[in-house]
Amino acid sequence: MWYLPVLIRNLLKGPATEAFPFAEAWTPPRMRGRIAFDPGSCALCRVCARICPAGAIQFEKRPDGLEFNLWHNSCVFCGLCTIYCESEGLHAIPDWHLSHYQDEKFDLVERAVVRFEKCSGCGKQKMPAPLPLMRKLYPGVDAKEMERLRALCPQCRKAGEQKGETP
Amino acid sequence: MTLSLGPLLSRLSARSPWLYRINAGSCNGCDVELATTAIIPRYDVERLGCQYCGSPKHADIVLITGPLTVRVKDKVLRLYEEIPDPKVTVAVGVCPISGGIFRDSYAVAGPLDTVIPVDVNVPGCPPRPQAIIEGIAKAIALWRSRL
Repeated sequence: MWYLPVLIRNLLKGPATEAFPFAEAWTPPRMRGRIAFDPGSCALCRVCARICPAGAIQFEKRPDGLEFNLWHNSCVFCGLCTIYCESEGLHAIPDWHLSHYQDEKFDLVERAVVRFEKCSGCGKQKMPAPLPLMRKLYPGVDAKEMERLRALCPQCRKAGEQKGETP
Repeated sequence: MTLSLGPLLSRLSARSPWLYRINAGSCNGCDVELATTAIIPRYDVERLGCQYCGSPKHADIVLITGPLTVRVKDKVLRLYEEIPDPKVTVAVGVCPISGGIFRDSYAVAGPLDTVIPVDVNVPGCPPRPQAIIEGIAKAIALWRSRL
């Protein structure tokens, strides 16, 4: 008679099968799925393209910046790019709805143009300085000073530091 | 007397496409996930009327894993020819779709769609069992339109 509690428990628990194609499937909130790119926090260091084992990430030259391309049909969800991205522009999001028909094969691309900026000091073209990266470089700097530093190119920043400007 | 079983058979078989899987040089990661969809009650692909079969002659939907190595290419083509029409080809995993991390290797005979007409792609390394079931559901919809 020891099986009776198990039997009753199993009857009350309902089916173990997920109703997935007919209902939404449960996804772990921190699942490593599709890679999402945030062009606002890209420093154009291109470490992701170098580190990607599948060669899924490529940068292309555009007149006003660089175009980021990530082909989901080549990405192996290893998450190396999210680890190496110091400016926190790449995130693995829990989205796995990637199956598609053959005619959409080359549409599964994460694509965004990251524009070059102009240095407020010397006026030359410079790479963008996203906030998450600058917070790591200059910890404890207030918001106004951070905006001033972000608008400067590395050479102008260095020159300012030598002149004794904060920080 | 000739019984015309054709319309009846095609109406009945529309509810039960049989699956066949070909390992085209896969690392077995995707094959494990395919087995998961069949034997673990949590995913249970047989709810969709599908069943894995052992012979290509019984198959309706063929699931191909692996980057299609040079050594296995002729065998895959031979098996593919044995599957009766209409058939739907599903590329499971990143390897058959683009080559994945094995792309540009001397041992890989290119992405699968350069050799075999592929209908549905399920990217992932390996894809989740739910993602495979999603791809199979798409393949079933396509297969019913071809009957």
